[in-house]
Amino acid sequence: MATRTTVPFGPQHPVLPEPVQLRITYEDEKVVEVVPVIGYGQRGIEKACELNEYNKNIYLCERVCGICSYQHSESVVLATEQLWPLDIPPRTKFLRTIWAEMARTHSHLLWLGLFADAFGYESMFLQFWRIREKVLDILEQTAGHRVIQSVNVVGGVRRDIDEAQKKTVIDTLNVVRRESDDLVNVLINDYTVKSRTVGVGVMTKAQAMALGCVGPTLRGSGVSEDARLTKYSAYGELNYEPIVETAGDCYARMKVRARELFQAIDLQMEALSKLPEGEIAIKVKGGPPANETVARTEAPRGELYYYAKGNGTRHLERMKIRTPTFANLPAVLILLPGCQLADVPVNIHSLDPCISCTER
Amino acid sequence: MENIIQITKNDIVNEGKKLLDAGAKFVTAVCNDLDEKLEVTYFFSANRGVDLTCLRYTVGKDEEVPSLTGTTLSTLLIENEMKELFGLKVKDLAIDYGGHLMLAHDSPTTPMLKPKKAEAESKGEI
Amino acid sequence: MALMLPTILRNFFGGPATRMYPVQVREPFENARGHVTFNDDKCFLCGLCATKCPSEAISIDKEKRLLTFYPARCIVCEVCALACPGDAIDMVFKWRAPFYHKPVEVHESRGKRPRTPM
Repeated sequence: MATRTTVPFGPQHPVLPEPVQLRITYEDEKVVEVVPVIGYGQRGIEKACELNEYNKNIYLCERVCGICSYQHSESVVLATEQLWPLDIPPRTKFLRTIWAEMARTHSHLLWLGLFADAFGYESMFLQFWRIREKVLDILEQTAGHRVIQSVNVVGGVRRDIDEAQKKTVIDTLNVVRRESDDLVNVLINDYTVKSRTVGVGVMTKAQAMALGCVGPTLRGSGVSEDARLTKYSAYGELNYEPIVETAGDCYARMKVRARELFQAIDLQMEALSKLPEGEIAIKVKGGPPANETVARTEAPRGELYYYAKGNGTRHLERMKIRTPTFANLPAVLILLPGCQLADVPVNIHSLDPCISCTER
Repeated sequence: MENIIQITKNDIVNEGKKLLDAGAKFVTAVCNDLDEKLEVTYFFSANRGVDLTCLRYTVGKDEEVPSLTGTTLSTLLIENEMKELFGLKVKDLAIDYGGHLMLAHDSPTTPMLKPKKAEAESKGEI
Repeated sequence: MALMLPTILRNFFGGPATRMYPVQVREPFENARGHVTFNDDKCFLCGLCATKCPSEAISIDKEKRLLTFYPARCIVCEVCALACPGDAIDMVFKWRAPFYHKPVEVHESRGKRPRTPM
């Protein structure tokens, strides 16, 4: 009988960019029990949303997460618009979709790099992040900023994509697609990568559903579920079907994200080619009426869920934010027990955790 | 918001289990402060995540409510969070963080509760 | 190694991805948002920027005709620049030295409110 040791993994750990503590009990090198502990970055954003005016919430909620910030602003705007409900011009919907997919592209490139870093492939990390820089550049050119775009307002968007920008975006995306194609080929087919990821952290379809997982974590386990199927913004008019892998291990989750990267580029191309003419914003007066609603968008990490309740004034009664990692975090309870100590970072990174947005 | 089913607090475990067995997935729970009472809404999604069903009950602020963590671990974090931020008395949690999931030892207690209307009015008069 | 070869060859012949920064500066994009600057000759203290600012970085004293700006609070969201009816706020994209102390800019406004309502 081996002795049991409990080791705190985090909140500050070289492989974790996020403040989460995992109290892991080991038996020799094997994990037998794990308790996730969060609470190192709680900022009270939900409370602040009640104290702010509704149109100031956009800039606050964008800062919930540094990587999926675009989807946060889109969700808070969709939630507020649905309280009336407002009729949004079609061009706005397409523009929002384009930026959302652009944000997904840069987020997945970031994650593929971080994941490669988690099993020690540091040069791959730098290669992916170099490509990501190009995506951030086109975000800055079209939306005004690299990471915190601040382009959504209640009733529309503030920037338009003109013909010259459209051409730049398409050219850049073609380069991004070509370069990441080579790198993803390495990640998918290299035997070293396979030996670290195939069969590690297996989560079955039933387990993933029971734990309420979302996004690529869920789709890696063979469940075809995606908030984009609810056809918010312009997804109803695009040719979209979720990407699903059935194995449920770290390799499958990586493959889902790698394929989604190319799908996101395709969706941007399609949306750019179908971009209708017209207004980009409508005027909004007064506060949202007393009503309650739910806005669901697909952030790079999974389904983002905003519940909003208005009370007829310019201040909201309640705003509830459920971030994707909040739903994915219970998955560590079944992913980690039974795995080796060296596989813990790979398992955790395969969920794409974003702890600071979990705590809001 | 459509599909809101009003239930009592004791039915939540049975009704939730029924939905989960029918293939639904737990999404999240929302707690609202209604001045005198707390309103708790559990959201479940079905049909590839497109359809949303809500189970809603209203309880007094000092009443104990049952936990769904016995049925599914997915409600673990949110029930702990509601317990901390709203003071909702959830009993039989699978992992009880003891009020320190989000908050620290010297944090304010139940920060999400609104100031009571009666108190706010009396302060306004002064 | 064989799979990585295309990337290795491209990196070998492709030149560096970085820039020799202080010598070679990238021009800011046309659309990019930068730091907030105030044009005191145009500002007539209507107060729209202070009301709309999400981070309360602007405060206005109408009696002393002063506009106080806290650059360290500014989140560069462009709301004030779009709200300004007198076109007194610009966003300038250029490098700025980091702060050692949180600065406070005080502007004395000299603009006149136009006769016709905006």
